[in-house]
Amino acid sequence: MQLCFFPGCNTPAIRPDVERAIRASLPVLGIEVVDADNYVCCPAFGSFPSADEEAWMATSGWNLSIAEQKGCDFVVQCGSCYSSLRMGREHLMHDVEKLAHVNELLEPTGRQVTGKSKVRHISEVLFQEIGPEKIATQLKKSLQGLHGIVQYPCHTLFPSEVVGFEKSPRAPEGLRRLVEALGATVDSYSRELQCCGGAGGFMKSTPEQALEFAKTKFDAILEETNPDFIAVSCITCLMHMERVQNTFNEQVGEERYKIPVFDYNQLLALCLGFDPKEVSSISNVPRDSVLSRMVPVKPKA
Amino acid sequence: MLLAEQSSKNLWLDIYNTGNLHYCFNCNTCVSGCPASHGDPPLLVRNLARKVILGLEEDLLMDDTPWACVSCSRCEEMCPQNVMPFEMILAIRQWQCRNDETLIPSAIVEIYKRGYTQAVGVNLELRESLGLAPLPTITNNQEQLEMFREMLMKIELISDNDYMFKG
Repeated sequence: MQLCFFPGCNTPAIRPDVERAIRASLPVLGIEVVDADNYVCCPAFGSFPSADEEAWMATSGWNLSIAEQKGCDFVVQCGSCYSSLRMGREHLMHDVEKLAHVNELLEPTGRQVTGKSKVRHISEVLFQEIGPEKIATQLKKSLQGLHGIVQYPCHTLFPSEVVGFEKSPRAPEGLRRLVEALGATVDSYSRELQCCGGAGGFMKSTPEQALEFAKTKFDAILEETNPDFIAVSCITCLMHMERVQNTFNEQVGEERYKIPVFDYNQLLALCLGFDPKEVSSISNVPRDSVLSRMVPVKPKA
Repeated sequence: MLLAEQSSKNLWLDIYNTGNLHYCFNCNTCVSGCPASHGDPPLLVRNLARKVILGLEEDLLMDDTPWACVSCSRCEEMCPQNVMPFEMILAIRQWQCRNDETLIPSAIVEIYKRGYTQAVGVNLELRESLGLAPLPTITNNQEQLEMFREMLMKIELISDNDYMFKG
């Protein structure tokens, strides 16, 4: 199966090791990754969607046409990109006039949108297309003995009618099952479904309160669990959940918050045997405590 | 007290022309799950719905709380009246931009200039060290970037404010 990888901006610009982990792990599991040549911003919710509906739709249309031209669906890791592309497609598919107008705008660029390509989140592809069972059979290393917690990307849960794929958006299970497939034990805690708070203007407009909001989540994690790592599946969750831990430590004057954060595909790529220097080298919270405890999986006779 | 002369009754048609808006019964579900409701000032989504319905034009134009939204869309999921509050927040931002060009996010200028809000695909050495090939970005494809810009320039909000995008 072929999927067109929509990289977004943060992943290739700031965390290309996550991109490497995605490009390394998917082919092992039978997914051929195709490039989205000349893609543009998804567009981010704080850009065209906040300024002008027509420009939002035109930009969405530009991107959607790329997957259509490649003849496959998009696969996206960034939660915001995923949600923006899904919403853009939803708007265009439910309004024939809008769709016709966007195609008029695209026409001189040699592009067209019909809706034949869908937009899929990478955790959905891993969970539903490939499945935890198949993933478990491919491992060279395991997270056996390690405890993790999971952070579901809000943009893959809500609004479930547009972006959802879980049986219940209020009791999601995909990311948990995927982490368990790597051998780890996943612990639950009271604020598991609380947003990381990293997207949009909250951190920019009222940083003090946004940090306090994130701290309630991390304090619940520390009080209720004892995790060796946090697994996310969104670039904003990854960067924000690292960044705030460093800020909290500065505030309290000790290294109290030091839970390594991984994108799921990084854990997956590590378990598939890829070099940590390539798939897991960039982080603001040290990851050695996890990397050093991964155990080799004996090949089945 | 709300004075009749301060109210612009048809404001909702200009901002968020959907009948469901009027089904809002102020239940506060949109606020209770909202991360940015913890801000100072808080983002109070139902208050924004009231302002749109009541037509409090000046008040709403000065209100910057819609920009604190994290786009998590919990309100969109949970709203029992299908107001689609996240779409409403985006619609309010768009209306504010139409009425005050200083509110137009600079991110759209970045996207016009290089396709993205960030410098994507220029970290070639880092990519190579990770085993990644160069990314086929639009920033590095002048012909495609020009087509993208020409498409955007046909859009009124952009051509009306073209001075932002030149140079």
